[in-house]
Amino acid sequence: MSKGVLVDLTKCIGCGSCSVACKMWNALPYSQTSQQQGSNLDADTWTVINRAEVKKDNEPAWRFIKYQCLHCDEPACASACFSKALKKTKEGPVVYDVSLCVGCRYCMLACPFNVPKYEWDKAFPEVRKCQMCANRVYNGDSPACVSVCPAGALTYGEHKTILAMAREKINGDGGYVKHIFGEKEAGGTSWLYISDIPFENLGFRTNVTTKPLPEYTESILGLTPAVGLSWGALLTGMYVYNRRRNEIAKEKEKPGNK
Amino acid sequence: MDDQVKEDKQVTRRSFLKMMGGLSLAGITIGLTGCSNTTTMAEQAGGDGWLPQQYQGRGNWPAQVRGRVPIDPDNPSIVRDDQKCILCGQCMEVCTRVQTVAGHYGMPMADDIICVNCGQCTLWCPTAAITERDDTQKVTQAINDPNKHVIVQTAPATRVALGEEFGLPPGTWVVGQQVAALKRLGFDAVFDTNFTADLTIMEEATELIKRVTGEINAPLPQFTSCSPGWVKFCEYFYPDLLPHMSSCKSPQQMLGAVAKTYYAKVKNIKPENIVSVSIMPCTAKKFEAQRPEMNDSAHYWHKKDIQDVDVVLTTRELARLIKQQKIDLSKLPEENYDPIMGEGTGGAIIFGATGGVMEAAVRSAYFLITKQQPPADLFNLTPVRYLEGVKEAAVEVPGVGTVKVAVCHGLSNARQVLDAVRAGNAPWHFVEFMSCPGGCINGGGQPRSSVPPSDEIRMARINSLYQADAKAPLRASHENSEILAIYEKFLQHPMSELSEELLHTSYTDRGKKINALTS
Ligand code: SF4
Ligand code: SF4
Repeated sequence: MSKGVLVDLTKCIGCGSCSVACKMWNALPYSQTSQQQGSNLDADTWTVINRAEVKKDNEPAWRFIKYQCLHCDEPACASACFSKALKKTKEGPVVYDVSLCVGCRYCMLACPFNVPKYEWDKAFPEVRKCQMCANRVYNGDSPACVSVCPAGALTYGEHKTILAMAREKINGDGGYVKHIFGEKEAGGTSWLYISDIPFENLGFRTNVTTKPLPEYTESILGLTPAVGLSWGALLTGMYVYNRRRNEIAKEKEKPGNK
Repeated sequence: MDDQVKEDKQVTRRSFLKMMGGLSLAGITIGLTGCSNTTTMAEQAGGDGWLPQQYQGRGNWPAQVRGRVPIDPDNPSIVRDDQKCILCGQCMEVCTRVQTVAGHYGMPMADDIICVNCGQCTLWCPTAAITERDDTQKVTQAINDPNKHVIVQTAPATRVALGEEFGLPPGTWVVGQQVAALKRLGFDAVFDTNFTADLTIMEEATELIKRVTGEINAPLPQFTSCSPGWVKFCEYFYPDLLPHMSSCKSPQQMLGAVAKTYYAKVKNIKPENIVSVSIMPCTAKKFEAQRPEMNDSAHYWHKKDIQDVDVVLTTRELARLIKQQKIDLSKLPEENYDPIMGEGTGGAIIFGATGGVMEAAVRSAYFLITKQQPPADLFNLTPVRYLEGVKEAAVEVPGVGTVKVAVCHGLSNARQVLDAVRAGNAPWHFVEFMSCPGGCINGGGQPRSSVPPSDEIRMARINSLYQADAKAPLRASHENSEILAIYEKFLQHPMSELSEELLHTSYTDRGKKINALTS
């Protein structure tokens, strides 16, 4: 039931089709200062390709790293979100529902991979990140980025199938390092990576815990102000929340804002 | 319709929240229906855009034509504007199938995004997201610098295509108008790459004769070396065959080298004050001019920081410069190239078409071997003309016997010839290779036509070149009076020590960059 994507870093040719597909499918604007996309995730850039210039057997080698939300099995962002605007779906994607978001940005702090971004420059900001093309996935299609990859670097499928595929690949071919990034990291993620070069040399955050992160965030959240205790405070909160949401909806309906 | 659904949901959700505030009973019922829907797609962020049809509703079947070619941001020849890319996959098609570059190398990659710089993708890209790297600024700057003597050369193929940018039919012969436009743009001297095309023939035909007679120890068949996309292709995919590659530089690079030596001496201009520009139908020429070995005029003067050709503009960039100055090319008078590098023969004109280099070489090789004018059929070598992918001919040369030649264009066709040579069953003495289908007339820097470019347009440009050759007063390179003069006054004779220094080059084995995956 739960889907995932396997990224084989040895196959990526660095064409950037995936990041363009993301921009197109999600109608995300480009930076006006450059013809090429940036190298960092931001509110309008949900996936990037970065070139890592490394050495392999003492020869220079380039690897292209596709980066986006990893869609954790037990997402820290979702557990940090007390208004349930972020949630893990049974299909795999960790999705964001703007109508529930109060704009607290706890998710940004909680994410071990620094993925969610905030629209700081907007009057009614949203939290923005890769949705794993949830509506394509619900319809039985692969995410936009996977569908356009001409190099076979991205494989979409049942999470357990692609995990088995990853294992088979790294065990069958001595060229791969014996590590599936995302199998254990952060308690497991829907996106998995395999590589011929150790992940730490490619800028991956390999020191992230292998314990599911919500175990931590819940205890952190336990310390946050007990909003629910005061009915009056909740009502005030709800009023602000409601107004904010309606304003966002209005903002969205304005021509040119879609 | 979708929007309508979305709006309804927003209403229900608002009601749900009102219910939370305990405001209305009606809210409860509406709210409850909305509640069960909280994960519907319409509420989620993203998915507001589109993708081309081939990626939609495929249930995970891969689209046949997909993605796009990788382009290094530092590629000297081509650039891409991501905002214009629609992921149609056409660049991948031409690169994979016509040029057999993409998908023909092993992964994981070394430190090079494999590209032969041919620029065919710029002609196939429907939105012109991929274009030549624009170097027009550099030229404008040089022209505006009073201390610089800015010279320009124009390739054989631009004169039958530039007119298309100004509304003239494909193939219109605008050689004189092109010179006039360049003079109005402020170039100090306008030269013809045809001059060095003739010089290339003298050197390359001499080299061929020396290979045939065993005077130099290099294998046959000899490969032509004037198409820089083809040269880089051979360096990547067939480096074992590089000894077959003629050591002659391309006409562009020969002109660059003699401009900053021979011309500089005759005109008494310091070579470092000459800015050498070329107008080419080709994006790979931008790469070629930057090759580190292309600075023989610097060696000649024992100076540093001199590059034989400084800036390469494609036909499209020249058109852009002319349009910026609001010059209507079609209304210009016909003007002539400047001496001492402005004369070209019919043999040089046809360099721009597939088969042309071979035909010109055969004409002059015949003369150099027999000291007699070649027979009439060598001035109409139809077996090597036009658009068939691989062409062959056999020419009887008294005293030598049958000389067998082959011609191919488009790099997928080159592979057929190269595989035969590799297998040791190539009957030819001399093979002409052109990177682009049709030859330079369809180079990656030429005006955009249909997508993909049609044979009709290729043929219009090719016919125009052959007509000009047929009408040319001199049709064989060895008859060019300025060529005779440069050998007499400067180079002495083909493959002299100085010719070797300035007009010949060496190649780089790039086999390691493709991880040895062949064919
Ligand atoms: S589309 Fe595929 S090959 Fe191209 S950059 Fe993305 S992952 Fe790499
Ligand atoms: S041909 Fe142009 S628009 Fe089509 S995929 Fe390539 S770069 Fe993008």
